Amino acid sequence: MALEPFKTSAALSMGVELELQLVNPTDFDLSASATDMLHLLGRKTFPGDVKPEITEGMIEIATDVHTRHDELLTQLRQMRDTLLAAGDLLNVAVCGGGTHPFQRWFRQRIFAKPRFKEVSVLYGYLAKQFTVFGQHVHIGCPSADEALFLLHALNRYLPHFIALSASSPYSQGTDTLFDSARLNSVFAFPLSGRAPFLATWTEFERDYFAKMEKTGVVTSMKDFYWDIRPKPEFGTIELRVCDTPLTVERAAALACYLQALCRMLLAREEPAPAEDDYLVYNYNRFQACRFGLDGVIVHPKTNDTLSLREDILATLRRIEPHAAALGSRVALDEIYDVAAHEGNHAGFLRRQYAEEGGIQGVVDAAVRCFREGKAT
Amino acid sequence: METLSPLMHDVAWPFALALAWVGGELGHRWLALPRISSYGIVGFLLAATQGGFLPDPADGSIALLADVAFGLILFELGYRINLRWVRANPWLGVTSIVEAVGCFVAVLAIALWFAVPLVPSLLLAAVAMSTSPAAVLRVANELHSSGQVTERTLHLSAFNCVLAVVAFKAVIGYWVLSEAGGIFQAMWAGLVVVLVSAGLGVLFGVVVPGLLRLIGGIDRNATVAFALAVLALTATTHALKLSPLLAALAFGLVARHRRVVLSQAQRNFGALGDVLTVLLFVFVAATLNWKQVVAGIELALAVVAVRTAVKVAATTLFARLGGITWRKGALTGLALTPLSVFAILLLEQTRRLGLGLLDEVSAVAGIVLLLEVIGPLVTQRALLWAGEVPQGGED
Repeated sequence: MALEPFKTSAALSMGVELELQLVNPTDFDLSASATDMLHLLGRKTFPGDVKPEITEGMIEIATDVHTRHDELLTQLRQMRDTLLAAGDLLNVAVCGGGTHPFQRWFRQRIFAKPRFKEVSVLYGYLAKQFTVFGQHVHIGCPSADEALFLLHALNRYLPHFIALSASSPYSQGTDTLFDSARLNSVFAFPLSGRAPFLATWTEFERDYFAKMEKTGVVTSMKDFYWDIRPKPEFGTIELRVCDTPLTVERAAALACYLQALCRMLLAREEPAPAEDDYLVYNYNRFQACRFGLDGVIVHPKTNDTLSLREDILATLRRIEPHAAALGSRVALDEIYDVAAHEGNHAGFLRRQYAEEGGIQGVVDAAVRCFREGKAT
Repeated sequence: METLSPLMHDVAWPFALALAWVGGELGHRWLALPRISSYGIVGFLLAATQGGFLPDPADGSIALLADVAFGLILFELGYRINLRWVRANPWLGVTSIVEAVGCFVAVLAIALWFAVPLVPSLLLAAVAMSTSPAAVLRVANELHSSGQVTERTLHLSAFNCVLAVVAFKAVIGYWVLSEAGGIFQAMWAGLVVVLVSAGLGVLFGVVVPGLLRLIGGIDRNATVAFALAVLALTATTHALKLSPLLAALAFGLVARHRRVVLSQAQRNFGALGDVLTVLLFVFVAATLNWKQVVAGIELALAVVAVRTAVKVAATTLFARLGGITWRKGALTGLALTPLSVFAILLLEQTRRLGLGLLDEVSAVAGIVLLLEVIGPLVTQRALLWAGEVPQGGED
């Protein structure tokens, strides 16, 4: 199967996918309830898309295509409320967060669907360990070459999204000291990481995809778990490094931060991306995962050392006119608050642990946040 | 022989438990039987009435230990019950009442038709409402099952046990009143026992989590603290001739809903719970006499059939309304089959009152034996058929 043609889509349109946790409200462990939830949700029309994920304790929702923050947020809230209502009928709580703090991966049940079973056989314990929860943001691109440009131009901003969304400090019952432990699970997959540096779709298809396909390692774009990957069937690039935040409000804000950033990048105000930008890529990514907003990154062009927090605040100032044009100032206000004042959700979860004195209290807080729409 | 006999008496129980445990492991490995089914078979075979070496379990400390074992299980069950769920999904409450009351009426009719006297018939009907929480919880934990059939089975089991205890105590009250006792005695035997037992449980549910929070180290200490509290609560209610079952269940429910601490005890209370469960199931089966089993087998089979039919019908009828498939509804009803432990412990209490239902209605022995062995197996199958068990996740 050759690489499918890249469909075009409206520039800067966006869509959000969220992988969510299904939790037992008694012991706060993951609840293998995806089948039951999907059965109940299937009786009525869902305000968006809902589908199973690899294990039974997960469920994935996806919005339609939007261009405005307020419309995106409205749909996310509708989907959240529908999920919560179904969960209430089935004694299942729903929440965000990049990892479940204490689930045991070997207890997870693979969702009964051929592709998931195949993946499970291929990757063994990695598949169950992949019970982690991410937010994926799609940004529409008018052409395939534009998509690849954007994909590589974003390389230097990737740590922003990791640090801002980080909500997975706990894994398998302990504090990992990472703000995003989830990405460590993703890195274990052989085809994770960055996309190869090829500037045009023709080159990408001829010099990379066709060769990879010939090796028999991949059959479609689905087999790549890159941080950002082109999605030809939608005509988008897909940013995959975000943890699912604790609220849909934060999820919408992150999507609009990306949208405004892309608008600025497409204006070609910055030096073009180059292969050498990726020399510092893994280091910067590690800093963001490990230290969150307190991370220190290296600028790929100047090799200056920057505080990640400062870099985000500076970026916010630069993209302000673009956000104004897109009508998403409110979203950037939330991002500003995260960077300047309240910190990311990983910090919030750590404070909950300290207050409640137990790991169950962390999940309880995440469940409350998701329902109330704020981390308090 | 003279010197050997007391020695045998002293060591009989520990060895019986060890044998039962080995039987449980082998039955699990070779026949995929739930372990508790095997414990029951071994206990029944080893009882003195069957020619085995176990002395009559009804007297002595074994009965108290069995109460403690069951108290731990009921506490855990209470802790897993979410009363808010019933408010969010009223059909769950409707299902519970219909299946429990339906069982009462159906079994009462059958018993009367078999010419069993009224009071024993009423008691039998009350007992038949309940699903053994011990069997259901042990099987669910053994399989690590999770999903709607599992959740609903646990909740319905807790609710029908409460309904059964209340109905049972009401019948006892009625019996005391009709047997020359005054109204005061009748009230005492019925209502007061229910209220005081539940009240003690509530008190523990308020105080113990508060203490635990003060002491700290919740993740580490929860299991021991709750186990000791259940031990104290069971001993107290046992000594006061109250209902240890109701008290332990109320304790678990209140401890959960006050949410003072969110950490819970380990599933099954860890190894302590495992040991006591062996004892509990051996104890229950050892109270049975094969002669009674044979004598009452016809009524027993009839009651088991009718009870299962009513439970499956009720859970299926309200399945769609309650948000699940017909199939999962029917499987929930099947999973509610076990009965034994709860019934025997309830009946043990009436023996102390001089009302030996176990001796009067021989069918009870048959019902208990059938459901002790088959009940857990049916629950196990129902959970497997519902697809709620992780592959290879079984212990």
